Amino acid sequence: MDMLLELDHISKIYGDLHAVDDLSLTVPQGEWLAIVGSSGSGKTTLMNMIGCMDTPSKGSVKLEGRKLEDLNAGQLADVRKNLIGLVFQKFYLVPHLTAVENVMVAQYYHSVVDEKQALEALEKVGLKDRAHHLPGQLSGGEQQRVCVARALINEPKLILADEPTGNLDEKNEKIVLDLFRQLHEQGTTIIVVTHDALVASCAEREIMLNHGVLVGEKWNDEKAREAYEAAGGKPASTGAQVEGAQSGETAIGFADPTKAAKTGGEE
Amino acid sequence: MTNTGMFFRMLFSAVFRRRSRAVMAVVASLVGAATLFCLAMICIAVPQQMNEEMRAYGANLIVTPTASGADGKAGIDSAMVEHTTEMVATKGSEKHATYRYENVRVNAAPYVMAGIDTTEVRNLNHHWVVDGKWPSAGKVLIGRDVADAMGLEVGGRITIGYRASDNTSTSASTNSGSSSSSSSDEGTGSANAGTEGATSGQQTQDGRVSSDIMDTSGTEFRVSGIVDTGGSEDSIIYATNDDVTKLTGATRGVDVIEYSAGTEDLNALVKSINAMTSMHVKAQPVTKITSSDTRIITMLQTLFWIVSLVVLVLTLVGVGTTISSIVSQRRNEIGLRKALGASSAAIGIEFYVESAMYGLIGGLLGTAIGYGLAQWLCVAVFSRSISFNWWLAAGSVVLAALVAVIASIPPVHRATRIDPAVVLREE
Repeated sequence: MDMLLELDHISKIYGDLHAVDDLSLTVPQGEWLAIVGSSGSGKTTLMNMIGCMDTPSKGSVKLEGRKLEDLNAGQLADVRKNLIGLVFQKFYLVPHLTAVENVMVAQYYHSVVDEKQALEALEKVGLKDRAHHLPGQLSGGEQQRVCVARALINEPKLILADEPTGNLDEKNEKIVLDLFRQLHEQGTTIIVVTHDALVASCAEREIMLNHGVLVGEKWNDEKAREAYEAAGGKPASTGAQVEGAQSGETAIGFADPTKAAKTGGEE
Repeated sequence: MTNTGMFFRMLFSAVFRRRSRAVMAVVASLVGAATLFCLAMICIAVPQQMNEEMRAYGANLIVTPTASGADGKAGIDSAMVEHTTEMVATKGSEKHATYRYENVRVNAAPYVMAGIDTTEVRNLNHHWVVDGKWPSAGKVLIGRDVADAMGLEVGGRITIGYRASDNTSTSASTNSGSSSSSSSDEGTGSANAGTEGATSGQQTQDGRVSSDIMDTSGTEFRVSGIVDTGGSEDSIIYATNDDVTKLTGATRGVDVIEYSAGTEDLNALVKSINAMTSMHVKAQPVTKITSSDTRIITMLQTLFWIVSLVVLVLTLVGVGTTISSIVSQRRNEIGLRKALGASSAAIGIEFYVESAMYGLIGGLLGTAIGYGLAQWLCVAVFSRSISFNWWLAAGSVVLAALVAVIASIPPVHRATRIDPAVVLREE
């Protein structure tokens, strides 16, 4: 099994604060990984480093066998547009471009604009009839689906999603998760940052961060775990010497975060 | 759709779907372009207008016969007047008037009479204040000093006598010579030429010569008007050329040609006339009018250019602030584009072209408004319209676009350095 992503003792340090503390992790091609943790646990910082939008203070990130620290800004931009599809909690659609134009923007920076292909991507997420609407004329769920269509238009190997259902109701959450499921079945590697138990449970594997330190890891798909271990994959680990840290080669299980973290205990 | 097509689609979407922001940027460019174009139009129109106004205050070039001419008394004949005028006209616009001076007697006292073409003199000397009418057949225009000395009023009668002995060849040539030397200092050569020539070596009072010869015979003329210039014209009697010919009984050339020449290089024109020795004429600039004319125009132009520079700087600041605000409002979008793989250069080009478009639209509208303003100002202040200057208009539109692009460089440069992670930083 090829490892698409390899994190080797990476840390992100701001002054005295260790946003991510000495994390080692490998993600094989086609895996669906969820990074869970409370707000401020370092999930997004970790995602930024994986997505070539931030560099680690220490350690090394390898994507498709290429060390990101060896690349300059232009090469990192190339990696982003060729390998990665980004889905954001707040959608980040260009407000003055229609849904289809927002999808085409990703094509524009990647290679060649193809409106037909962009419309097909929107059709895939069930938004063909809303293709010529501006983001302001779309609901939150529809905007997120446009964001997903934009992320998958260039057929990236890795989808990075930061709280993709954070601003969605249950119905739209289900639609988006179904889309991820389809992408996963097609062999796309998905890394989702979330503190939603439902979203996390859809992933094959979950790791938990707390104040930048890896504190747990669990598999939701035994077959995937076996395949991973058979390919020489090891559990994630941290070199941080703090209580509760997953520092050895044994995964520490954890209870899924509940939706209470997001909804304030209404469920 | 090609990528170029997508580029322009994004550009037009940014401009036309974000109208309120776009309007802000366009208005900033528009105000600058309108002010600059209006100032530039006035900068060009005012000196032209001033030049014409200044030239209305009389001649800036005087031509007299040379002492070495075939016959100093003969003056400059009409063919030479025409030839000299052609030389002046080839260098620019011109207005001219000719003067034939004769020494005459009124109530036995000597005066200078000038034979003129009324229309020419009137067109050349807008500053002359004439009480009554200009001379016509049988009617003369007398200077204020002459009128005061003899107690004459408009409509009164004056008897003018001519004696050939008063107009000797020596007197005539002295007349021409002194007109040249005095003209360059005073700018009223014709009048000085006449008075000084006529009174050479004699005591004068109120422009007339004291004399004890009591001879009051002569031709009677009616006083059509009294001229008051505050200069030596006030002691001259002006009559039509025909009346002077009738009075003297002789036809001859003129003693002085005064020009209001529109040439930019008056000295070159003077040199070119003087170089033609076969013409037997001498040209001299009226330095007082010329230098004050140039000085005032230069001062006005400098003032306008300084104001234009200040407006340009203010426009740069205004457009810069507006575009800076627009760019900062789009920080997330820029971060997103970078996250999608856009290079800083690609984003920079998008924003620079967008800024140029704001500048172009603002420049076009501003130039049109600026022309309207300049036209209104010129009509209100100078009572004349100005023609549209296409080169200046094109320059104004290009400058507006350029200013918008230059003003957008610092904010766009800052924006393209945005770390794309800022887009994802919100947890």
